[in-house]
Amino acid sequence: MAWLTRRNVLLAGLGLMAVLPGFANPYALFVANLLLIYVILAIGLNLLVGYAGQLAFANAAMFGIGAYTTGLLQVNLGFGYWQALPCGALLAMLIGSAMAYPALRLSGLYLALATLAFAQFTQWVFLNWETVTYGAGGFKVPEVSFAWLGVPSHIGIYYLTLVHAAALFLIAWGIVRSPIGRAFVAIRDGEVAAESLGIDLLRYKALAFAMSGFYAGAAGGLYCAALNFVAPEGYDLFQMVLHKAMVVVGGLGSVVGSVLGATLLVLLLELLRGFKSSQEIVYGALLLAFVIFLPEGVISLVKRRLAGWEEPMRRHAASAEPPPSAAAEATEETGRP
Amino acid sequence: MLGYLLFSGVTTGALYALVALGLVVVFKATTVVNFAHGDLFMIGGFLAYTLHVMLQVPYVPALALAVVLAFGVGMLTDRIAFRPLMKSNMVALVLATVGFSFMLKGIGRAIWGGRGDYLPFPPLVGFDPIMLPGDIVIIPQQLVVLAGALAVMLAFAAFFRLTRAGKMMQATADNAKAATLVGIRTERVYMLTFGVGAAVAAAAAALMAPLTLLYPDIGFALFIKGFAAAVLGGLTSLPGAVVGGVLVGVIESLAAGYIDSSFLDVSAFVVIMAVLVVKPTGLMGGRQLRRV
Repeated sequence: MAWLTRRNVLLAGLGLMAVLPGFANPYALFVANLLLIYVILAIGLNLLVGYAGQLAFANAAMFGIGAYTTGLLQVNLGFGYWQALPCGALLAMLIGSAMAYPALRLSGLYLALATLAFAQFTQWVFLNWETVTYGAGGFKVPEVSFAWLGVPSHIGIYYLTLVHAAALFLIAWGIVRSPIGRAFVAIRDGEVAAESLGIDLLRYKALAFAMSGFYAGAAGGLYCAALNFVAPEGYDLFQMVLHKAMVVVGGLGSVVGSVLGATLLVLLLELLRGFKSSQEIVYGALLLAFVIFLPEGVISLVKRRLAGWEEPMRRHAASAEPPPSAAAEATEETGRP
Repeated sequence: MLGYLLFSGVTTGALYALVALGLVVVFKATTVVNFAHGDLFMIGGFLAYTLHVMLQVPYVPALALAVVLAFGVGMLTDRIAFRPLMKSNMVALVLATVGFSFMLKGIGRAIWGGRGDYLPFPPLVGFDPIMLPGDIVIIPQQLVVLAGALAVMLAFAAFFRLTRAGKMMQATADNAKAATLVGIRTERVYMLTFGVGAAVAAAAAALMAPLTLLYPDIGFALFIKGFAAAVLGGLTSLPGAVVGGVLVGVIESLAAGYIDSSFLDVSAFVVIMAVLVVKPTGLMGGRQLRRV
């Protein structure tokens, strides 16, 4: 099965997604749209947790900030969707990078709890700042018009999401292979060692938080247009566990793994739709089981069985050209087995 | 007004202190924050509800039985979410307890949800408020809760000081390697620790249930409040957890009374952020060491 390389599989997936509106019914198209949104979310979270090793729990909050900003700018201030969407992503990015400051002082558990508390705070704002956010009931967002392209709104949004997902995947792919990605991994594997090699902790942590915030914010803006509705419960703790489970099931520290994890779990979520308690049990159990039995995620199985799926972060020892920076060497020295 | 707010703050604060005690006792022994602690609280509360309301067991035996059952669920937490990962890193441990907490929440919702979701728990004593001089109004239920919380705290302290198991737990928390060397089976102690933490949480839940309502999502709210209390007290100090709990209760009550009732839910967050940013070691915590 030599043809089942990563590039072929990803291109086939992209091709399938691109022709899907031609034959899928609206429900299947909505699920596919959701899948792409979760791919963006999972990749963004993986950059922060899997690569930079920052145990943050605010991803669902960033998703919510993106969605609320995009929606509220349209409803309250009369922005168009095309202005509101980048604003949502940028605001999530700004708030994300502001979180790097506490993250400098806090690590591990303390960071996890501080970000969890922050996530709870954003929920509280969504619920209680009623004059602006419309409280617990949420609000409707006008449909985005794609008349200038001659396609109906839901197909236009689908393609917009597909383009975003593909572009953000490629950006993440590029970043984890660059010195920035190596600096992230060096920080994950040992902050003191990374700092002693000249990696500016604040700068790279802020970058990791900002990128992850941007991904979640963009996903939020796209989600708001896909649903035409924004309400607090879409961005709650369950979402947080969902994102975490996608990253863990796919594989921490693997961009392609996040795509796999998001795909598997969105399909599972659709099977369990309407059964809140079984969703919680299944996702909790999946998270637990993968952490215990398969901590490297589904991607590690794929890598073992098929050729052509190696991750760039782990290939430097074998590659012909020497690693370009000290950070890369640090990665190898302190790299995990 | 002030007297009433202070008193009700101290009452709920005492319950937060119990939740915090469970978190701190597990953290001291294992250096893990049990993210499933709030859901152990929830399960404990529903167990007490099942026994007392559905099966008509009198309150005190129902509370005791719920505590015993929760002790078992706590030990199960250790076996499922902690022991297989003892040698893993922090990320794995946190994610495992988060996963377990959602499993518990889903189980709680499957068993006890869908009954209007907010289950009332009958009060133990009448609702006629007692008027004290100086315009202080006290609801008798609060006195019962406060007394119960104090009794649990005293029992907890006695367990640590006086029993063999308590001393083993202290030794393990102090230095796990040395404890192993003198023949303490630390794995059993960890299991016991998780059990004790869950038992205290269940006692808090059974005491709190008559004051509030029970619902499957109550766990996380209590986890955040208990954690705010624990972190205010320093995360490694048992007396600190009690002081922190009472302080969080009072802050919350004053914020709700003088600013706006919606601030009840957010003050724990403000406390956590303020403590973590200003003084991460809390009021009574030891100096934090950074492992390299």
